[in-house]
Amino acid sequence: MSVLEARDLIIDVPGRASGAALNLSIEPGQRWAVLGPNGAGKTTLLHTLAGLRAPRAGQVLFEGRRVDDWRRRALAQRLAVVFQERQDGFPATVLETALIGRHPWLAPWRTESAEDLALARDALARLDLSALSARLVSTLSGGERQRVAIATALTQTPSVWLADEPTNHLDLHHQVAVMRLLAEQAGQGRSVLMCLHDLNLAARWCDQVLLLYPDGRLCHGPAATMLVPEALERLYGQPLAVAEVDGAPVFVPVRTKPAGAGSTDFCKGDD
Amino acid sequence: MAGAEPRAPRFPWPALALLALAGLATLAVSVAVGSVAMSPGQLWGALTGGGSGLHHDLIFTLRGPRALSAFATGGLLALAGGLMQVLLRNPLADPYVLGLSGGAAVGALGAMLAGAGTALVSGSAFAGALVSTLLVFGLAHGVGGWTPTRLLLTGVVVAAGWGAVVTFLLTLGPAERLPGMLYWLMGDLTYAGNPGLPWAVLVVVCLLTVPAGRSLNVLARGPLQAAALGVSVKPLEALVYVLASLLTAVAVTTAGSVGFVGLVVPHLLRLVLGNDQRVILPACVLGGGALLTLADTLARTLMAPQQLPVGVITALLGVPCFLYLLYRSR
Amino acid sequence: MIRPVHFRCCVGLALTVLAMAVCAEPAAPARCVTDDAAREVCLAQPAQRIVSLSPGATELLFDAGAGERVVGAVGFSDFPEAAKKIPRVGSYKRLDLERILALKPDLIIAWRSGNPRAQTERLESLGQTLYYSEPRRFDDVASTLQRFATLAGSEAVGGVRAQRFRDGIDALAKRYRDAAPVSVFYEVWEEPLMTVNGEHLISQVIELCGGRNVFADLPALTPRIGREAVLDADPEAIVAGGMGEENPAWLKPWRKFASLTAVRRDTLFFVPPSTLQRPTPRLLDGAQRLCGQLESARGRR
Repeated sequence: MSVLEARDLIIDVPGRASGAALNLSIEPGQRWAVLGPNGAGKTTLLHTLAGLRAPRAGQVLFEGRRVDDWRRRALAQRLAVVFQERQDGFPATVLETALIGRHPWLAPWRTESAEDLALARDALARLDLSALSARLVSTLSGGERQRVAIATALTQTPSVWLADEPTNHLDLHHQVAVMRLLAEQAGQGRSVLMCLHDLNLAARWCDQVLLLYPDGRLCHGPAATMLVPEALERLYGQPLAVAEVDGAPVFVPVRTKPAGAGSTDFCKGDD
Repeated sequence: MAGAEPRAPRFPWPALALLALAGLATLAVSVAVGSVAMSPGQLWGALTGGGSGLHHDLIFTLRGPRALSAFATGGLLALAGGLMQVLLRNPLADPYVLGLSGGAAVGALGAMLAGAGTALVSGSAFAGALVSTLLVFGLAHGVGGWTPTRLLLTGVVVAAGWGAVVTFLLTLGPAERLPGMLYWLMGDLTYAGNPGLPWAVLVVVCLLTVPAGRSLNVLARGPLQAAALGVSVKPLEALVYVLASLLTAVAVTTAGSVGFVGLVVPHLLRLVLGNDQRVILPACVLGGGALLTLADTLARTLMAPQQLPVGVITALLGVPCFLYLLYRSR
Repeated sequence: MIRPVHFRCCVGLALTVLAMAVCAEPAAPARCVTDDAAREVCLAQPAQRIVSLSPGATELLFDAGAGERVVGAVGFSDFPEAAKKIPRVGSYKRLDLERILALKPDLIIAWRSGNPRAQTERLESLGQTLYYSEPRRFDDVASTLQRFATLAGSEAVGGVRAQRFRDGIDALAKRYRDAAPVSVFYEVWEEPLMTVNGEHLISQVIELCGGRNVFADLPALTPRIGREAVLDADPEAIVAGGMGEENPAWLKPWRKFASLTAVRRDTLFFVPPSTLQRPTPRLLDGAQRLCGQLESARGRR
């Protein structure tokens, strides 16, 4: 039973040929990593899956219904997006920012209840932000702001997380903390899809992988079949060395020049 | 938990009550003072229906309607400014930034030049404001759909165009009509007639926008984030644009282009009350109303019997106050 | 024989010297007047090509008998009828200097408080002869007629017109010198509400008729006031101009104030603005009308 499904989906990256259509089904408990070099369309795909951007062709289904047939408020109760870029707009405190995660749950004339406040405080505590809750977001560091954005999505209590580079700006400790949080969400029957740059985080924390090529080609499957050096080298145009550490593969770029064009079978390990 | 307990999002009724009291106080003062001195006894007599005909005229024909018009106009402008700032996500936005007052000014001055009476001048100003609204919206929409940046840029350029037409009309104007035209441009409540229309619009728009306050809070964080949090961004933005334009058009029609209130009152209140639109929007109505009522009272009494343009007073009151708060803010 | 020759020679020499003296020294200026900026303006011969830089001056030039010598005038020069056909040289606020120069005027009548100073100074630096006009009192109107007539060589017409104006004003002054004072509010403009102070010629007309301008003491020449100040002053008569002739619409808003003496006594009067608001001989018409109105106000006490 899929929660989020792409059918013959072609995302609309201006100035790029359509490439292959995406057929993808995200199920509860799955942890998806979207990998690809700069400009491959990871963010565009994420926004399209969230219904924030119209596809060039095909459709996105959420719980079996076309995503643009959903009322935005009802959809926002089930699906949260963590954006890579954020506008600060007018000054707001950390707590106020986390609290807007309750917006889809409140009728227009209602103000936040004690339970809403408790949810926001718990989310801030989960991301080590309690001490900062009265601070203005504009005074925080990049990593702290990233955690505020994740806390806001946590306050939103969604069943599907779409996170664009959730570990951006984070120090090593908080990278792990955030990945653990997302894994825990998946463990509770929610679905998580995240765009990542770090192959090793994907290898360690994700069970499904989607590879996006700059020319619009793509392939996806279980992490074990996708995260192999041949496919990844072609994806990034970068020779890699691989080792196994702590039960997961670790990929390291090698210092030689990139190899020439590989075989046409770009989806090594395709299912 | 270290540090101070974070501010719980409790609705600041005391602050709003204080602003409402300030509004009532300015209205009372505005009715009580003027060129003709009145004792409290005479004031009471006139208010309760007794008293001399002069005092009755003063309160019910001159000071009362004018004070009510001033309050409504101030409220309209401050609310419009607050909405525009959220819509354009630009703290420098004011009710006039989208060229609306320019269109109204061209309408009003054109009517004055043609020798029209007050009613026609107001009607023409309103028509000019609407034309400008549609023009800016249509041009900003263009081929690719509108964005706040595009709207802002279109508005600023259209406003510059109207500015040139206003200067042209002033050049054409005969000497005796120039004072009237200039006073209109500076904003002047002598033109205010029946305060019924501005009040009706103010109340209706308040009822429409204050419940949308939380959605506007989310909208202030950008359209994508707002959409992801369940806000129907385009309809909300269109609603805010139409309502803010309507507010401004009615304000300009009532009192000419009174500057400053729409830009500074929302900011002033944000510096004091924070950024929750559910609080700021009603606070703007009360604060803008109180400021303009006070300013108009000063404008007609400071150098009585000579009358000053109200825009001079709003700026003289607001600028130091605003700069002080800005200087003290974090 | 020598003597006559010598004599003739001497006479011839003397005549030659005299003739040389006459030619070498510029001819003594035929006509000089002092303008309202207290400067001497002189012309060798009567002005043939006059440019007028204010509507009032155009009207005065026609009254002084120099109408057909006016070759250029600013906008709104609309009286008498013939003035409307004179080629325009811009508005009094923004003069078209090129067109003025192209008209090759030998006399320019400038408006001291109305024309931009930079432009009139530029005209002077270009060698033009400027007369600065600024009639502020009744006698200025009469003397301006005479001065214009002197410069244009139409002294006969100008003298008669000036005398007629003086006599008319004197007659009014004599008639109302001892009349009971009437307090008057004069409305010069409706939106914004504007009146005149004691310096203004209109206020002098009010005084001439035995009236008392209730706002005579305000500092500005045409101060902007509020309606409440008029209610406070409660004048016995309200006199308004209006937009265009015979359009007493500005009196209507006052009628709703029953507390006003002028409303109760129905002493609200209209005077066509062109007969009061320009310092020209038409002022006499306006003054006669206003004096009659104030006299009727006395009758309604």
